[in-house]
Amino acid sequence: MNVIVCVKHVPETAEAEIAIHESRKRIKTEDLVFDINEWDDYAVEEAVLLKEKLGGSVTAITVGSEDADSTLRKCLARGADKAVRLTDKAFEGSDSYAIAKILYKIIKDLPFDLILTGAQAGDDGCAQVGVVLAELLGIPHVTMVKKVESVEGHVKVNRELEGGLEEIVEAKLPVLLAVQTGINEPRYISIMGIRKAMKKEMKVLGLKDVGLTEEEVGESGSWITVEKMFIPPVEKEAEILTGGVDEIATKIVETLRAKGLI
Amino acid sequence: MDFELTEEQMAIKKAVKEFCEKEFTPELALELDEKEEYPMALYKKAAKLGFTSMRFPEKYGGQGYGVLEDCLVIEEMCRSDPGLGVAVTLGTLMLPDLLLKHGTEEQRQKYIPPLCTGEKISAAAFSEPEHGSDITRMDTTAVKSGNEWVINGSKEFITNATVADFFCVLCQTDPKVTPSHRGESMFAVDRGTPGLDATKLKGKMGIKPCVTGSLSLSDVKVPETNLIGELNKGFYYALELFDETRIAIAAEAVGMAQGAFERAFSYAKERKQFGSPIIQFQGISFKLADMATKIETARLITYKAAWLFDQGKMDPMITAMAKAYASRVAMDVTDEAIQIYGGYGYLADYHVERFHRCAKITEIYEGTTEIQKLTIVRYLLKRM
Amino acid sequence: MKELFVLAEHRQGELRDVTFEMLTKGMELSQKTNADLTAVLLGHNVQEFAKKLANHAKKVLIIDDARLENFNAEAYQRVLFHLISERKPSLTLVGHTAFGVDLAPSLATELNLPLATDCIDLKFEGEKLVVIRQVYGGKVNVKASLRKSDSYILTLRPATFEAQETKPQGGKIVKIASPLSEDITYKRFIEYFQPPAGEVDIATADIIVAIGRGIKDTENMLVVEKLAEALGGVLACSRPIVDKGWLPNDRQVGTSGKIVKPKLYIAIGISGQFQHISGMKNSDLIIAINKDSKAPIFRTADYGVVEDLFKVVPSLTDKILEEKH
Repeated sequence: MNVIVCVKHVPETAEAEIAIHESRKRIKTEDLVFDINEWDDYAVEEAVLLKEKLGGSVTAITVGSEDADSTLRKCLARGADKAVRLTDKAFEGSDSYAIAKILYKIIKDLPFDLILTGAQAGDDGCAQVGVVLAELLGIPHVTMVKKVESVEGHVKVNRELEGGLEEIVEAKLPVLLAVQTGINEPRYISIMGIRKAMKKEMKVLGLKDVGLTEEEVGESGSWITVEKMFIPPVEKEAEILTGGVDEIATKIVETLRAKGLI
Repeated sequence: MDFELTEEQMAIKKAVKEFCEKEFTPELALELDEKEEYPMALYKKAAKLGFTSMRFPEKYGGQGYGVLEDCLVIEEMCRSDPGLGVAVTLGTLMLPDLLLKHGTEEQRQKYIPPLCTGEKISAAAFSEPEHGSDITRMDTTAVKSGNEWVINGSKEFITNATVADFFCVLCQTDPKVTPSHRGESMFAVDRGTPGLDATKLKGKMGIKPCVTGSLSLSDVKVPETNLIGELNKGFYYALELFDETRIAIAAEAVGMAQGAFERAFSYAKERKQFGSPIIQFQGISFKLADMATKIETARLITYKAAWLFDQGKMDPMITAMAKAYASRVAMDVTDEAIQIYGGYGYLADYHVERFHRCAKITEIYEGTTEIQKLTIVRYLLKRM
Repeated sequence: MKELFVLAEHRQGELRDVTFEMLTKGMELSQKTNADLTAVLLGHNVQEFAKKLANHAKKVLIIDDARLENFNAEAYQRVLFHLISERKPSLTLVGHTAFGVDLAPSLATELNLPLATDCIDLKFEGEKLVVIRQVYGGKVNVKASLRKSDSYILTLRPATFEAQETKPQGGKIVKIASPLSEDITYKRFIEYFQPPAGEVDIATADIIVAIGRGIKDTENMLVVEKLAEALGGVLACSRPIVDKGWLPNDRQVGTSGKIVKPKLYIAIGISGQFQHISGMKNSDLIIAINKDSKAPIFRTADYGVVEDLFKVVPSLTDKILEEKH
């Protein structure tokens, strides 16, 4: 089973404070730590698990700047065999659609049975790239994947729906699966993995290599353009309880008592 | 000149960090600190990922890196937790290093691979009840009898004593020669050899998960093939080993200091007194600035010592400086971290007191700070 | 007249809430843009749905086909491709749900129409369609414009637009022949699967203490468990805790877990991504404890505590136990 996994290098923002850049078109990223997108982390693990079970190879691909190398190396250290970074000044400002087009141009000429992506990215949360890519390639896709079983020429997949419900679908190979978090337990990076990763092939390709024009990528090749970013307006705000830990606890207890909850 | 870690070295650091974030839980750290118990499962897990065999060649199942990469792992683990960090990273203590330099191929094949995979643990038995810093004479003797050596004596303060499978034991093989250190030899001794007994030493101040104990050897018979290197060269081998392992101790100290500093720093940003976070008071913020500066300098000299070693230009003076300086920094920084936490810092649940208790060992083992200073002066006199 | 499409979403015999949310928003937009609000219903034997939708839209287009009974992105896409190419609606609204994310991006690609996903607001500025989306887990909003087009597709975040009862619109129900000529063979729906329920049903609990990513390690989980116990409540969580395997998934609150409405909901170390918020925002009283004062959870909570949970929770537990004695 030859697997391609598409990954994104994103800032970790779950627990970080975020400030908007002066341009108001992006956030300030200087003090943020970048890593592989959380959903993609699960996708890479799933790719490697499938390879270990069925043989074949795993290729990790990203569209991003040079900094994304650490994310690609991580994929290689986990067990991916090859990595491709698609980098070009012209790619900047690309939305999900433009990124999917860039990926499509490279992937269409690669041999694959399966493409894995994360269900979404933690930064823009668009949840589009995988599905657009599948459409451009003319292959079926399944999103929100919680479980993958490989059957002869097919995959049997559990999709996560709302309210804890899942649906089971079957799709013919080649297929694109966009995986949801929790599908597996991403392994630790081992030193052996890092050692091997340093020796693995990592290709860097640009606009000309993929055969796209400047108009087809970046803002001009996108569906959507960011006009401005802003901190969400406060519609309702919690009353913040202040004071020492004891004082705060007392205030909560008083509230609970007043509402008859204790 | 290049002060930057390579991409590979940064990947190593990050891999260790991710491992520690999940595995070195505060819960486990507190529990094993209290119980003084070795984190066996954690050691095996870390070994499987290659973290405990950084400096051993690939040929024997190691990772083929140098002392610097080993230091990165040690630093990161001790940053996460000093007790667990020391216990895990000292699991492959000294024996492989000794065999790589002086062992026979058979000895290497027998001992190193199972240490790399984490199946086994090693220990170095040098110190004796009467000989700590001074190892120029051993009361433990090895006497040749036919094809065997018969070892008698006792060893004290032995790291991993009760969990180790393999020991390298420093013995007096020629009791008459002067100076006496010219009559010391190293032997490999396996757990389970009749006459070998280990007792756990309880009540240590810090690094409690790293078990320490005493060994008693009474008529312990080992085959001739267990002599490591040449007869009567043991003392020199031991000194040589310290030149390498002391760098690792400096890395432990840097990691411990960093861990305590980070905890104190985030606490100072959150903790409010007199209406503002305490980091806004210079009494606190200057402390933090000093702590950060000291850690950075300690790290630089530690990396330099490691780099020199890996370049084949090992410098005993720089190594001694690194160990003496970094261990002092660890003591100062962990002390100030408690001070920043105030009353909470004195409680186990807030972790920094553990860092302080653990840091003290770095000034003592593998040559006390005083021994390091002797080395520094000796080289200064030689060179200036 | 131009049409504004709202794609009805249904599953296991029920129209989903997001459909009515989109119809309410769609009604407002259609009036402003002078377009006919048109509900689009794909399925099999769904007359009852059509009648309901007719109360909320000017028109209901039904495509009835056994192959459309259960959602299959491929089959749905094929039908919608025909419909949208033919009728050129100014806008098609789809829910940003498991259904919508599987369908909208490929449909937009095939139609070559611009798409924006997971929108929390939208308006036309002249010809230009402008949307508001949330990024970085809800910490930042983006105002974005779509490439100019005569037809757009958007997915709207569920539980964001309020579904309002309006006077029945008496919409015309129009049957359209299914354009599906052959079976979809490369993708097949097999069945629904409901993971087995655990011992505790958080949906019926009066008091819920929920934990999230901020809990950091299992030791802190014990601390929170004690609080839940003291309150006589149950322990629940947000998604990352289930992903880590610390709690079973029947304890998860949010769109992919359970929707809860307890009398008291204490959120500990939960940042407040919308998927979680939509599962608990209707709780009577919400108290949030989080170290990050900018965490979105504080926009939903009644009371907030910006502190290390490790310090507040034990103290709170002690005080509650004291109070009970």
